[in-house]
Amino acid sequence: MQSRTGLIFFPAFDWAISKTHPEREERLLYTRDQIFEEGIMDLPGVEEYTPRVSDFHDIARVHFCIPSVRSQVTEAHLIASGAALQLGDAVMSGEIKNGFALVRPPGHHAMKVVHGNRGFCNINNEAILVDYLRSKYGLKKIAIVDSDVHHGDGTQNIFYHDPDVLYISFHQDGRTLFPGTGFTNELGGPQAYGTTLNIPLPPGMCDETMDNVVSNLVLPVLEDFQPELIINSAGQDNHYSDPLANMRFTSKGYGRFTEKLKPDIAVLEGGYGIEGALPYVNLAIILALTGFDYSYVSEPDYDPELFKEKKENVNNVQQTIEYIRKTWDNRYNIDLNKIFGSEKYYKRRKSIFYDTDFINEEQVEKVKRCTNCSGYNEIESKIRDDVKVYCVSIPFYACGSCRDQAYEGYYRAKALKQYDYVFLQDKYNDVCLYFNNESSIEEYTEG
Amino acid sequence: MYIGIDVGGTFTDAVLLDNDGVRATAKVATRDDLLSSLLDVLDKVMDNISGHKIKRVVLSTTMITNLILENKYDPVGLILIPGPGVSHNNFMYNADTKIISGAIDYRGREIAPLKKNEIAEVANDLAEKKYKKAAVIGKFSPRNKSHEVEVAKILEEFYPGWNIELGHRVTGQLNYPRRIISTMLTCASKEKYKYFINSVLNALEKRDIDASVFMLKADGGTVPIKNSADGPVETIFSGPAASTVGVQALTSAGETEVVVDIGGTTTDLALILNGQPLISSQGASIKNYITHVRTLSVRSVAVGGDSKIECSGEQIVVCPRREGQPYCLGGPSPTPTDALRFLGLTELGDKSKAEKAMEMIGGITGRSSEEAAEKVKDLVVDTITREIQDMFYKWEQEPAYRVWEVLQRSKEKPNIVIGVGGGAAGFIKQIAFRLDASPLIPQYAPVANAIGAAVSMPILQVTLRADTEQGYYSIEEEGLQYKIKDQKFSEGEAVDLACEFLDKKANANSFNMGQNEIEVIRRETFNMVRGFVTTGKIYDICVQTPRKLLGRFGEKGGGK
Ligand SMILES: [Zn+2]
Ligand SMILES: [Zn+2]
Repeated sequence: MQSRTGLIFFPAFDWAISKTHPEREERLLYTRDQIFEEGIMDLPGVEEYTPRVSDFHDIARVHFCIPSVRSQVTEAHLIASGAALQLGDAVMSGEIKNGFALVRPPGHHAMKVVHGNRGFCNINNEAILVDYLRSKYGLKKIAIVDSDVHHGDGTQNIFYHDPDVLYISFHQDGRTLFPGTGFTNELGGPQAYGTTLNIPLPPGMCDETMDNVVSNLVLPVLEDFQPELIINSAGQDNHYSDPLANMRFTSKGYGRFTEKLKPDIAVLEGGYGIEGALPYVNLAIILALTGFDYSYVSEPDYDPELFKEKKENVNNVQQTIEYIRKTWDNRYNIDLNKIFGSEKYYKRRKSIFYDTDFINEEQVEKVKRCTNCSGYNEIESKIRDDVKVYCVSIPFYACGSCRDQAYEGYYRAKALKQYDYVFLQDKYNDVCLYFNNESSIEEYTEG
Repeated sequence: MYIGIDVGGTFTDAVLLDNDGVRATAKVATRDDLLSSLLDVLDKVMDNISGHKIKRVVLSTTMITNLILENKYDPVGLILIPGPGVSHNNFMYNADTKIISGAIDYRGREIAPLKKNEIAEVANDLAEKKYKKAAVIGKFSPRNKSHEVEVAKILEEFYPGWNIELGHRVTGQLNYPRRIISTMLTCASKEKYKYFINSVLNALEKRDIDASVFMLKADGGTVPIKNSADGPVETIFSGPAASTVGVQALTSAGETEVVVDIGGTTTDLALILNGQPLISSQGASIKNYITHVRTLSVRSVAVGGDSKIECSGEQIVVCPRREGQPYCLGGPSPTPTDALRFLGLTELGDKSKAEKAMEMIGGITGRSSEEAAEKVKDLVVDTITREIQDMFYKWEQEPAYRVWEVLQRSKEKPNIVIGVGGGAAGFIKQIAFRLDASPLIPQYAPVANAIGAAVSMPILQVTLRADTEQGYYSIEEEGLQYKIKDQKFSEGEAVDLACEFLDKKANANSFNMGQNEIEVIRRETFNMVRGFVTTGKIYDICVQTPRKLLGRFGEKGGGK
């Protein structure tokens, strides 16, 4: 029974951001046709699951949704994230060896604080899965490998101060593509230095590069980190036919990547080559996960002559790989005070832009540089002068004093009466608190 | 008056019905000479009634299923046009398989051309091996049939008189491996099926029956016997469909019930949800191959009245196999039937032998005979109850592709447990009790299959898929593809068109249907946007005739 692959195909044929938006009903239509025509669901070892609906608590455990979870998510979001949880349970129970949630809407641009839709995302399906697995099954170390062409700035943001979640992303260079982040110096905060790794790639790179990154960086780092579970943010917009980006990966390249990475759970992210890419890339990924031969998968217009990498770019990528590898190997020997200063609390300011909803958010983030745990985490967020929010988060393995201080922070912010909303995420006890200043109502959810 | 006939492997059953209910039933052995078995059963059930009084005859049969299971069909050469995708090594069938160049994509566009010399080579090779039947199946042929048609043309040129079957003609549904199997089986069984039809028509003529004649399909719907010759595989598994529809007719409308058919070694389970039999999401499968055929969801459980009972230590195990008759009927070892006999829940067999059987089990496992019999009965009830619950669970887990489908999921539980088959009497009450439902054993349970055949009506479906950018639409069930004349073809027009096709189909099937009885099962529009400009629309429309029965002879479930 251990050899089965679980699939959830949830194309949300009745959900779109807007009629002509790339994230619309049609997106997985041809993928459905290809998967159905190939008879994938009939293959021995393939088990099709139906998604479930996530709880609001599953989302509150990860996100500070403003003003509320209900206001930020549609049913489609709850089902897409529920699909990931469904497969997570099936992997943990041993029903399946791996799984692929072929779902929309995507999520890897959704950050800890959610004021609206960013990069087609409201909530982060992979992060919701990671924290669900940690709270339900007590998993400790999980790795997320992001193969979307865009930097998964949301996922990075959520786990930036979490040393137990390794986030590795390779993507088209942020200088040439949304969201403009994901550079090699983004390596995690002072409490989780090195557990965020970014490999920006020059536009136009082909399968050889993906292969090089996986074989010479991703796999050795994973081998070192020894995660209990590997999740793949399986974006497909690195494909050569994608209309929103400029990379030149093929479906076979994605197949080989999946075969090497061997993720326990893959979750579909972006990919807007809805005709030229998605039907073929998804097929290759599924075949690779099930262990079937994917070498017969190819795009109708594939011409090997058009896939030659520029030598200078190849060298450039090679240097990036070596640099990141060295940084990883030395991560415990680096003087963090030089990078982050020597204050007891590390503080940083951020401006976040929500491209879909045209919102500008200003954040001040504060992490306690605790020596007994990864430290509790505070965020003050505001949009213009309209909304002001205080959020505090207690990590899974928090020490007693971090827990106490976080609760003090929450009650102090409540009493101050100057924040519209006050949130507390207690991952240690799996409880979330939420206070609405105007109505003076406090709500809580628990797992 | 109506007649229903079920031609099984061992027995041929018939019933004669009129609007008041069952007039007569008959059971004869199925012989190799099909005609004589049919005449025999007709004579018994009609008992001197004039053939002219019969208005309608429906047959169900396991004949095709048995042919396939016993490999008694002519060899078929497979010519496949798979193009890129799943490995060609996956196409390993029990047939001479030739893979040729050419490919069509999901929107029906040619992505690789055929190579004529290759086709000629393949044809010559099959001819050399004395093949006279060939099935030609291309990936995505329901979206564009031109490759299949072209290959057939070349084959016919070279070898006129060959029996050639094309994938898109057999089914318009997407699923290439299922289409391959279905097309191959259609090609293989057509001649034998014609023999069946001719025997039936011959028998009816001999008895002056000039009624309209139908075949039952695996989904419990009917098709005029003459039309059925084109798709004989549709009739595989019409056996289980017949008994389920029969039970549906024997109970009151709108109930959620489970049909438990307890036989010698297996128990078949079927679900009727709110009065409608549950259709399987997978096609009917045979010999581990899945076909495209829509079928009722029937589950076989390896436990029955003759199952062998084994003991080790205190453990009693009901084995998934039979060693012979129950002990009380002269068999070699104890069975659940012996337990029922001991407990007085059946009159079958010798009482003292049943007592002996329970003593044997009790002796080994340290129980009284009474306790042993109760334990055996509980084990059988446990197994069947668990499988019923799992069937409901699996049904709730069926894949959903739309937001509303996921949110609408509701939990169902059966109100009535209906027993048919020899072993039913002893177990049904207990199973019903466990499921908090009422037990029911209908009066005509032993001929529920023939009743099901008799009362079945056509269920006709039309699935229309239109691609306004490519400028064509197709009718899935007919394997037909047409050009769209008007670029502004709207969703409303697409629905109207689908209804028109359904209407035509209903006429061809002698099915009278009111215009407003058509159910629209699905109507969806996908905007095709290229470079942020809408370039066309894809419509996916499915319409269906209402599921009806010719008559109901319902009894209410007994008290709890
Ligand atoms: Zn992306
Ligand atoms: Zn601490």
